[in-house]
Amino acid sequence: MIARCLAGTVLGFPLAALLLALLLHVLPGHGQALLIPALILFFPLWTAFMATAYMFRSGPRAWLIMGSANIVVFAALWLLRLPG
Amino acid sequence: MKAATIRTFQTVHTWTGLLAGFALFVAFYAGALTVFHDDIAAWQNPPWRAAADANVPMDTLIERLLAHHPEARQDFGIVLARDSSHAAYAYWEAKDGSRFATASQVEAPRSEASENELADFVYALHDSLGLPVIGLYLMGIVSVIYGLALLSGILIHLPQLVKDLFAMRVGRNLKRLWQDAHNAIGVISLPFHVIFAVTGALFCLFGITLAALNTVAFDGKLFDAFAKATNTTPAVTVSGTNASMLSTEALIERARAEALKSGVTTFEPDYMHFVHYGDRNAVAEVRGLSQHTLGSFGSVAMSAHDGTVLATYVGDKYSVNGISYASLFGLHFGSFGGRTVQWLYFILGLAGAFLFYSGNLLWIESRRKRRHAEQPRKTLVMARATVGVCIGSCLAISGAFVATWIAVRLGVDAGVPQRVACYGLFLAACAYACLRPVARAMIELLWVTAALTAAMALVDLASNASAMAQAWSPLGWRVIGVDLTGIALGIVFAVLARAATRRARSGNANSVWAIKAPSPVAVGTERPQ
Repeated sequence: MIARCLAGTVLGFPLAALLLALLLHVLPGHGQALLIPALILFFPLWTAFMATAYMFRSGPRAWLIMGSANIVVFAALWLLRLPG
Repeated sequence: MKAATIRTFQTVHTWTGLLAGFALFVAFYAGALTVFHDDIAAWQNPPWRAAADANVPMDTLIERLLAHHPEARQDFGIVLARDSSHAAYAYWEAKDGSRFATASQVEAPRSEASENELADFVYALHDSLGLPVIGLYLMGIVSVIYGLALLSGILIHLPQLVKDLFAMRVGRNLKRLWQDAHNAIGVISLPFHVIFAVTGALFCLFGITLAALNTVAFDGKLFDAFAKATNTTPAVTVSGTNASMLSTEALIERARAEALKSGVTTFEPDYMHFVHYGDRNAVAEVRGLSQHTLGSFGSVAMSAHDGTVLATYVGDKYSVNGISYASLFGLHFGSFGGRTVQWLYFILGLAGAFLFYSGNLLWIESRRKRRHAEQPRKTLVMARATVGVCIGSCLAISGAFVATWIAVRLGVDAGVPQRVACYGLFLAACAYACLRPVARAMIELLWVTAALTAAMALVDLASNASAMAQAWSPLGWRVIGVDLTGIALGIVFAVLARAATRRARSGNANSVWAIKAPSPVAVGTERPQ
């Protein structure tokens, strides 16, 4: 229970942030015109990830899958930000 | 959803409720009162007992401010008087922090926005439990936990939500009734709770969240982007030539005319912001409250020298970012729909407080030992904490009203008496709930709260009657409104006290809420051998 709680809280935070950053990045003008609505979505998204973490069978599984999701989204964001 | 998952979310709901419930009760009770912030301010300083500096014109305030603090001309704000019996005050940043001053205070400005206003103290209890710095972060964390509690609560009830929503199973099973009431209020006022969970977290944790997101995901570019999205003051460069400034009245009139052209029906200015005051390129920004729009706080930026409109953030002139940002405040404060929405927010706020209170009662009830008079220790501790904190904070806030009332009449600053009465009564109520048998403590604290709240309102009405009769002003309605609401709340507390008494005497005896009959051992010793 505690492991899944921590996975959702600790890994849900960057995951929500990275997803929103990715979403804004692919929008026209890097989403500047929709920045505030995206920031408003941050807390609901983080909370949703906290709840999602409890759906996993075990704590380590929650850490593994949410950790991988973080890495995937971070990599995508990094690739998109590469110049050219 | 699998039964095991639902059980997991039940645990999450219980724990989040335990962690955040008490702080949320205070936030919702004080928040419900804060809806009537300006009315409470009028209650403290009605027209016939105006606050100091209430009649000083704003231009005099600016003149005095700049005479004593010439460096403030680069950037300062004026918080307009909220009604004719209050004073406008200036706000600026000194080297070591914010400064606030009404016209007569500019020589020795304050470092707090207001020190004596009861309305602002109740607001501080609402947003930070009245604790400086740490309180705001604490309430931010509480808001996040509250969001998780809402989500897990919905997930638990989703399977039978529609079926049970309007079911009120009034009957012998009291736990069922409490559960139904808890669920019905939780689900019906869900949109309202979602608003508070989201905006509450944003308001309290904004600075650190923005800093964290900036580093984690936005490559250090978020601060600039955010400033660009929310800035309402156009950037200008100092020209270096002095110029005459328009009067605040002229600027307000111009802003109002511009706002009304932009698709809103009302625009009540409440704040002005000046940049480079006295310079040819000085900017004046007027913020105002509009009704019947989600962007209830709009602003118009003008040249302070000739009144040319530079930027408008009102009604249909908003960008998507602007209206989203403004609507956070409108939705949180319930300032978008006049008195109707204010009363709706007041009632939903009290219902929210009830939600957290009933959540605690349910926790106790589901751990009750039906066949033993002796109850588990943890439920007794929870019962004491619930009575002490929840009823104690209601009592404490009524105490702050009484302290303010007395301080104003003795002519002393109300700030310290308010805090002493509030925190003192709160701690006393908590101690009382720990020492007395908990059922008795609950009944007695409810009666004291009912008596104090209603008595305060009645005494205020009686003492103001002659002043109201002699010098009637429409602001008098606000005073009467606060007092009548106080009487109504007093009656509600009395009804709760009677219900608690009935429960203690004739309800199931195997409960922490029962008043125990004399123990059988004592009766036994009296029996003749």
